[in-house]
Amino acid sequence: MDEPALIQSAQRGDLDAFNTLVLHYQDALFNTALRILGDDDLAADATQDAFLSAFKNLTSYRGGSFKAWLMRTVTNACYDELRRRKRRPTTPLEPDDQDGDEMDSPRWLADPKLTPDQQAEADELEHAIQHCLDHLPAEFRSVVVLADIQGLDYAEVAAVLRAPLGTIKSRLARARLRLRECLQGIAELLPAAFRLKEERS
Amino acid sequence: MNPRDLELLSAYLDGQLNPSDSARLESRLTSDESLRAVLDDLRSTRGLLRQLPSRRAPRNFTLTSQMAKLKPPELPTVPVFRFATALAAFLFVITVAINSLVLSSAPNLASAPLPAALGGGAPQSALQESALATLATQAPALPPAADNLTETSAPRLIYAAPMTTETPTPEAATKSNAPQVQTSQPVNNQTTSPVPLDLEILFGILAFGFGLTTWILPRTHESNFRKKWNKK
Repeated sequence: MDEPALIQSAQRGDLDAFNTLVLHYQDALFNTALRILGDDDLAADATQDAFLSAFKNLTSYRGGSFKAWLMRTVTNACYDELRRRKRRPTTPLEPDDQDGDEMDSPRWLADPKLTPDQQAEADELEHAIQHCLDHLPAEFRSVVVLADIQGLDYAEVAAVLRAPLGTIKSRLARARLRLRECLQGIAELLPAAFRLKEERS
Repeated sequence: MNPRDLELLSAYLDGQLNPSDSARLESRLTSDESLRAVLDDLRSTRGLLRQLPSRRAPRNFTLTSQMAKLKPPELPTVPVFRFATALAAFLFVITVAINSLVLSSAPNLASAPLPAALGGGAPQSALQESALATLATQAPALPPAADNLTETSAPRLIYAAPMTTETPTPEAATKSNAPQVQTSQPVNNQTTSPVPLDLEILFGILAFGFGLTTWILPRTHESNFRKKWNKK
């Protein structure tokens, strides 16, 4: 994919070129929105809004990491949604079963490479992490999602969030510590295989 | 754990410390067990976050032309039609205004006799005609029964002259012998028909036609553009 050429064409109004970029980045944007918002439908809406906004404001892109630029649009869309949610609190978004317990993730999300037990463990871990992410302040959550889940470096995160590098470092450190404390608090819920194991890499 | 050490450990984990800060922290880590424990906590937390499965987008987020509100480039003929509409409308308004002004200066147009009445029983003598003209001037709003009187005196017969000359009748021929009638006709034309009605109607039709074209053309063009784009 010749990204610079596609961006140039898209800036001239070529929607086909832009849609090629959309197909390339849609998973990254959707995952970012999903981790910040914690809900599939809202994440999908934020992703769509982000791409629409990106297309309309494409002339404001002046080079640099296009992924980081797109991340800024989706982060802004997520902040808009969070503000809306704050004004109009809603019920939990996970569907409940008849007993009032949260239903498992839809089957289409299952990883076919995992056994049913492994899949169940992975789902539990994902729920636990998402639960802890949801309890972080929004400005901490976006930093940790962009740096640790999307793999952006500090400078890119600073560019996305338009915050000084020092602020990003500080927020990331505190976000990691809070997440750690949260995960320790629900340690018994985590699958044994994932329980606070140390990263050896 | 003070915030400064926490930031140092987090940045160290990501390889974001400069060499001197990094060396200083490493020497502290060898001697400070609590510092090592926090570093391990941060590392394992980061590891868990990195293990989060990356979801596939539930659908494609590609934009349609309708979503992007794409508009085709304007047809070069549209500005021409737009200008023509404005011009024709302007001319139409001007002609209507001029004719209205003139008609308003001739208040009894409504009671003016029909052109057919022109030829009917023209006076035979100049004396009679002159007398009748005086009478008509004094009583301008005569009933239709007084056609003969008004014919010779009314200065508001817009189409009288052309019609009588185009279709001469024996009566008209007789009338043409009367000098008073002949002299009164140029006066009639000057005061009542500054812009022909045909021209006024023509401008109106042109303004409407151009306006309709200006309205339809871009919409048809945009519709075709969208159909073409959606077929891609």
